[in-house]
Amino acid sequence: MDELNDGVVEGVCCRAMVKGSWGFSSTTSLEEKDIATALKDATSLARTSKPKKKRLAELAEVKPKEDNYTTKIRRDPRKADKEELIRLVKDTDADVRGFSKRIVSDSVVFTVIDDDLTFASSEGTRITQRIVRCIGGVTAIAKEKGNLTSAYEYLGEQSGLEVLEKTPLTHIGQVAAERADKLVSAPLAPGGMFPVILENKIVGLLAHEAVGHCAEADLVHGGSFLSGKLSRKVASDIVTLVDDGRYVGGLGTMKYDDEGVPTERTVIIEKGVVKGFLHSRETAHEFKVHATGNARAWNFEFDPIIRMRNTYIEIGGYSIEELAEGMKEGFFLKGGLGGQADFTGEFMFGTQEAVKIKNGRLGESLRGVTISGNAFEVLKNVDAIGKDFIMRAGMCGKEQINYVGMGGSSLRTKLLLGGGSK
Amino acid sequence: MSLQTSTQFAMKACEKLGADEAEAYAQKTRITEVVLERGEIQSERIKVQQGIGVRVVKKKGLGFAFSSDLTKRSIETTCHNALTLARTSIPNPDWVSLPTAQKLPRAPTGIFDKDVAALSGNDVLSIAIRASGAVKKQDKRAEIDDGKFSAVVSEIAVSNSHGINATQAGTLLTGFLVCLAKERGEVSSMAFEYDISRSMKFSPENIGRSGAEKAVASLRPKATKSFVGKVVLDPDTAADILLSPMIFSVNADNVQRRRSAWMGKLGEKVAVQQFNVIDNGLLPNGIGSSIFDAEGVPRQKTSILTKGVLKGFLHNSFTANKEKRRSTGNASRENYNTLPTVFASNLVVEPGKKKLDEIISMVDKGIIVRRFSGNVRPESGEFSGIAKQASYIERGEIKHPLKETMISGNAFNALMNIITIGRETRPTFMNSYVPPILIDKVNIVAK
Repeated sequence: MDELNDGVVEGVCCRAMVKGSWGFSSTTSLEEKDIATALKDATSLARTSKPKKKRLAELAEVKPKEDNYTTKIRRDPRKADKEELIRLVKDTDADVRGFSKRIVSDSVVFTVIDDDLTFASSEGTRITQRIVRCIGGVTAIAKEKGNLTSAYEYLGEQSGLEVLEKTPLTHIGQVAAERADKLVSAPLAPGGMFPVILENKIVGLLAHEAVGHCAEADLVHGGSFLSGKLSRKVASDIVTLVDDGRYVGGLGTMKYDDEGVPTERTVIIEKGVVKGFLHSRETAHEFKVHATGNARAWNFEFDPIIRMRNTYIEIGGYSIEELAEGMKEGFFLKGGLGGQADFTGEFMFGTQEAVKIKNGRLGESLRGVTISGNAFEVLKNVDAIGKDFIMRAGMCGKEQINYVGMGGSSLRTKLLLGGGSK
Repeated sequence: MSLQTSTQFAMKACEKLGADEAEAYAQKTRITEVVLERGEIQSERIKVQQGIGVRVVKKKGLGFAFSSDLTKRSIETTCHNALTLARTSIPNPDWVSLPTAQKLPRAPTGIFDKDVAALSGNDVLSIAIRASGAVKKQDKRAEIDDGKFSAVVSEIAVSNSHGINATQAGTLLTGFLVCLAKERGEVSSMAFEYDISRSMKFSPENIGRSGAEKAVASLRPKATKSFVGKVVLDPDTAADILLSPMIFSVNADNVQRRRSAWMGKLGEKVAVQQFNVIDNGLLPNGIGSSIFDAEGVPRQKTSILTKGVLKGFLHNSFTANKEKRRSTGNASRENYNTLPTVFASNLVVEPGKKKLDEIISMVDKGIIVRRFSGNVRPESGEFSGIAKQASYIERGEIKHPLKETMISGNAFNALMNIITIGRETRPTFMNSYVPPILIDKVNIVAK
């Protein structure tokens, strides 16, 4: 065992607006004089930067609220038995190592992030929220004849420790070990355009990376792919895509965003047609719509910007076998890795495993490769959606990182695989 | 209370509580940053971060606790928490000791610049505006997608129960822009340009000019057919694709955990003859330079690859003790709230003789990649992703920008397939100094 950590980071930030110009300042000190300095810094930044700003901010009206919210938890991590958690991590580690002779290394991490948030504004809003997130991850590394490969699996939910009853850490370890073991000597998937089934676990990446970002109003304003496309058809009829701030257990769930705006279920695409965008108070004013509760900050060291919460493609009705039916030559892509997207809709993300599909039948597993495409071409090509919906945990980086939920069911489309030569 | 007073106070508290060994790492950082989005100023921030991390050993059990509150009462609580965790923790059979005090080297020149330290929010804003102005001045078709300019001043203190008691300060100025160009409804691919410096030797105008230039040059892209061939990687892309698996593989912790592809390969040839790499923690003006590492151990120069032969791994005190050797001074912490890991200080790739133009002229058929958006698997070295800001090269000349092109291959094989190393070295965000590198046998995948 390498690490057993515990700690507290606390701080305050102040955001001040002077005639439409924002200034921001933060401090890790909770002493009154330091908070006063932060307020002064924020105000003076707002004032001095005003002449240099092309566009000044105005905010959509939001009714001042006094409220508090706490993640629904059954087993409170604050009362957790640390030794039990250590045992859990150790048992998982032993399981992974014991999986086969090929597993040469692994790491098992379990983290509880327990946030106490307080928001107060000069408009009179006073909100406190306690948000508890449990995240676990296992990396398994297999070696055979000089080949090395890794596989990664994780769990994450807004929940107390009861998440471990639903998804045991040992189960996560098993999935990672099995995949690394299986793929260590497997060849790399080939490169080129192929029909594919994207596993439910990675459909959320598509919803988030490829589409969600283009619907963030700051990017829409900047000319993203969805700019000017409200009420236009951008995806296949069967695609409905939602960003939901209230999804129970979602890693991106909160009752209020970091501007004190109540969150909601925001429909981005309904049956292929663009219905709405994700807003902060500032962009909501600019677009003349209501604020959707999407302004989020990573912590007190960042000002809130427009972020997704839990983004997903709604469930369909097919089984994996039915999705594979009629596919002459393609791949069933499993296990997501990091991704990125430009606001033109061009995206990429990594996959861990590519199962060959030939004449509708699933065959051997190859090592996964990075896939790419234009999100909206990919969504237009979606012709069947599965019934195996899941919501997964994710981390998103847009200048600052944040916790998000990404969800969906396995679906069928076409993509470019950046693999080896055919 | 100064940082050093805080860490010394923590040592006394740990001793009183009955720790076998203890270490405190305190940090104070002031970050002034300006974020640009869609060509406009999106945020300006002043962030003051401070905190302490306490590592305690009791009967070979390790505990770590941290706090952002540096009052005496909070430090005492943090020490107490660390000790409680050390007692709860399972003893680590590999544990030997925290590092002992050694004579520290003289501070490398240029790691602290008082002008950078004195930059105000308004000054950083002016730097950002200079960069942004240079974009439009260069070409009306160019725009800024996003960018960030930061001035960082940080102070660190480390104390441990074996007599280490050290403090140092540093400054860093960074800035980047992601630019795009628009022409008749067409949007170019995103171009990335940046600068990193410990001093005011930093040109926002160059960032803007070059970012705009790259974006405009990528307008009107054409597709190519798939082929296996030569790829010119610019410094930033070479760092991503070739150096990130290398940094992973020379990390002694990964070697000891048997997840490094270079385990057991000391003395073996792992790259072409012309490839020489050192880790130099004392590099003058180096972005990763310091007097001592995150455990208070002196920084040093360590040979990694000499004429393509693997010469050494990077250690912190834990990995070094495991092999009964000395730490190479590569303990690294992201922040006071993390335990020391191992990371490169300044990984310096020895430059070659050829200019970028000359390298391009050597390519009969290939591509040049200036931005890579993809995944690199550090254990296996496999990489695949989109070649953004890429152009097609034929008979030694850049022919046209490319669209919808992916590249894939293996970084470890690529190190053996290096054709030429360029001479224009740049610091990258990965603590490395890298010139452009021409490699062969890369899969170039088209739609």
